[in-house]
Amino acid sequence: MKVEQILQLPSMPAASPSYPMGPYRFVNREYMIITYETDKDLLRQAVPEPLEPNPDGLVLYEWIRMPDSSGFGDYTESGVVIPCLYKGEPINFTAQMYLDDEPPISAGREIWGFPKKYALPKLEVCSDTLTGTLHYAGQLVAMGTMAFKHQESPGGVEAAAKGMTKTQCNLKIIPDVDGSPKICQLVAYNLIDITIKGSWLSPARLHLIPHVNAPAADLPIKRIVGGKHFIGDLTLPHGRVLFDYLK
Amino acid sequence: MNKEDVIGLSSMPLQSPTYPRGPYKFFNRQYMVISYKTDPAAIREHLPEPLEPVSDVVAVQWLDLPDGQGFGAYSAAAQIIPCTYKGEACNFVSQMYVDNSPPLAGGREIWGYPMKYGKAVLEVHGDTLTGNLHYAGQRIATGTMVYKHDAFRGDLSAERDMLARTQVTLKLIPDIDGKPAIAQLVAINFEDVVVKGAWAGAARLELLPSVNCPLFDLPVKHVVGGMQIITDMTLPYGRVLHDYLA
Repeated sequence: MKVEQILQLPSMPAASPSYPMGPYRFVNREYMIITYETDKDLLRQAVPEPLEPNPDGLVLYEWIRMPDSSGFGDYTESGVVIPCLYKGEPINFTAQMYLDDEPPISAGREIWGFPKKYALPKLEVCSDTLTGTLHYAGQLVAMGTMAFKHQESPGGVEAAAKGMTKTQCNLKIIPDVDGSPKICQLVAYNLIDITIKGSWLSPARLHLIPHVNAPAADLPIKRIVGGKHFIGDLTLPHGRVLFDYLK
Repeated sequence: MNKEDVIGLSSMPLQSPTYPRGPYKFFNRQYMVISYKTDPAAIREHLPEPLEPVSDVVAVQWLDLPDGQGFGAYSAAAQIIPCTYKGEACNFVSQMYVDNSPPLAGGREIWGYPMKYGKAVLEVHGDTLTGNLHYAGQRIATGTMVYKHDAFRGDLSAERDMLARTQVTLKLIPDIDGKPAIAQLVAINFEDVVVKGAWAGAARLELLPSVNCPLFDLPVKHVVGGMQIITDMTLPYGRVLHDYLA
């Protein structure tokens, strides 16, 4: 394999790259997001400077079904997102993510710094209940339930699509081969080409079980605010460096 | 979390780093290595410049890793291409499949081990040491080897030489805009290697074609033989052998 070919590779391994070049198109991506209030001091510890956690102590716990994702395939994801402020502007910080497919784990970590680990999340409709579960290393660590399509969300699909354009960010850490930090950045991105096909609000409950390697329960539930369920198509493009810890 | 603590993190995520800081010590790490002859043109195609092929022999290996510090218990399978870098003998790790997040993410992000998620199993069935690899629900590779036929062999230098050989990986990490941020050949040398047992013997290997787990792209023409090794060893950090962006 020649140097020109090596520099064109989108990812490891050279013999069969884990993921192709982006951007990545998602069709019929289905979300269940349960918003809850947690302890503000614990929230502060989970957010890297210079981000500031939202003053209300809110956390979003998410399940996402992704049946048709270009370059990645068919998979499911679950995780913790913390609404934050960066220089006073609202931004969503992805704190934890668990999924069952290697290419989006590797691409997620290596391109944008999504904090992804391998686990078995599930999002399905069980009779009258939209149900999310997450198993990590054989143990149940999260269960979310939401009443099924009780109410269309105010503002309809247009408002839901606008909400999806909010800037999101990750803490990207890639070590050098000697163990010292090679990349240590806050990375920002915005979803594009968003079409929301349906969006609903309903009562929800969430149960988090303490687990050392999937510590969603480290941000304990004080009060459930509510659940949001929506389905849409969108594109995940490359991103930009928001803040570089090594400069 | 303040900025100094962020820079001190071993890995993502902040709340529970996927892997701790190295080096990483392994106990009772068991290998089955099956060497075979393949197509020299396919070897040339798989070896990144400036690595040079040395012969038409490559290997598929299974690893059982019951006790890996920081990583846990897991299994792996790999395709290895013996080669040279500026005349020095080394092993290029061309493909690798594991069933555990920390070594998968740590392997890729620290050293550039070309790891994907696959289900490898290495076990003894009756009289046969047996390796299987499933990828995306399909069986892709099966290796079998006779069980400890040369139990009283004294000279284990071939196995020691194999473990002492420099491993080379092609580390590729994109930047946030999709352009390459890291494109390096990385060299790794195991440390504190203790060979607790080693056996050689007859072996067979079957590889099935699969697009995302393409071991079959180096097809089996003729099996040379098998090697079973049980070892304790340490996986230290590596060094940059060649930087494609420099």
